[in-house]
Amino acid sequence: MFDQLHLLILGIILFCVGLYALLGKRNVIKILMGIEIMTIAVNVVFIALGANITNGTFTRFAQIFPLLSIAIGAAVLAVGLAIVINNYRHAKSVDSDEMATLKR
Amino acid sequence: MSLAVIYVFMILAILAAIFAIECRRLMFSVIGLIAMNLFVWIMLLTLNALLLAWIQLIVYGGGFTALFVVVVALTEKQRDETFDWKRSIIALAIIAVIMAFSIWAVVSSEGLYTPSGTSTIADSLTLLWSERTMDLILQAVVFFATSIAIGTLFISHKKKKLKEEVEA
Repeated sequence: MFDQLHLLILGIILFCVGLYALLGKRNVIKILMGIEIMTIAVNVVFIALGANITNGTFTRFAQIFPLLSIAIGAAVLAVGLAIVINNYRHAKSVDSDEMATLKR
Repeated sequence: MSLAVIYVFMILAILAAIFAIECRRLMFSVIGLIAMNLFVWIMLLTLNALLLAWIQLIVYGGGFTALFVVVVALTEKQRDETFDWKRSIIALAIIAVIMAFSIWAVVSSEGLYTPSGTSTIADSLTLLWSERTMDLILQAVVFFATSIAIGTLFISHKKKKLKEEVEA
């Protein structure tokens, strides 16, 4: 079995990759992909911290809190993708800078 | 499974995530996302988090990948032409600082152990039914909202306009 430290580092790196998409990309579909990667990274960290039989309560909830996170992440993505489609119909663009046209 | 193979899968998951973000063709980005989901699925299986592994594969690896494919097809923008050097460099600088601080915090923390597995699927489901009923209700509400949001993807505005014109 591998070390918990490596799993936590995997979670941090995946989270940073998602954050890079959020900060550095203008394509809204890429930004939503970044949010999905960040959610998965958080789930990995949850499991890494809870994957210990000797650790009482938290272990029992280790798989349940990520389930909530998945449900909320799914809702966020669905709403985000719906906004992307509606914005594309309105502005013919998936550029986040041009989403300001939604105000008009 | 050999330790080296698990580390290879970890590195592949990171590379697939970077490929998904950096690839110019959006369909290939979606393929990168599928690959990353598969590698994370293997990670979760090795940790005995079976319930989470399968739900993640179904929801993210299956459902949302299909939704991404539909959205990429509907938007008709198959290539991401919005690369911005200045923005990317600033983002990388910010992320380097955050990553260095996070890794330093994790490495210097004490009490890290070797993961030995989570509770079984049956235990998790029993706990969910007996102690976390409110979570289940909230998840049902969230999934209802999600299904409505997905439904809005397929509303045709042209048909609406045509109906309005016919009625007028």
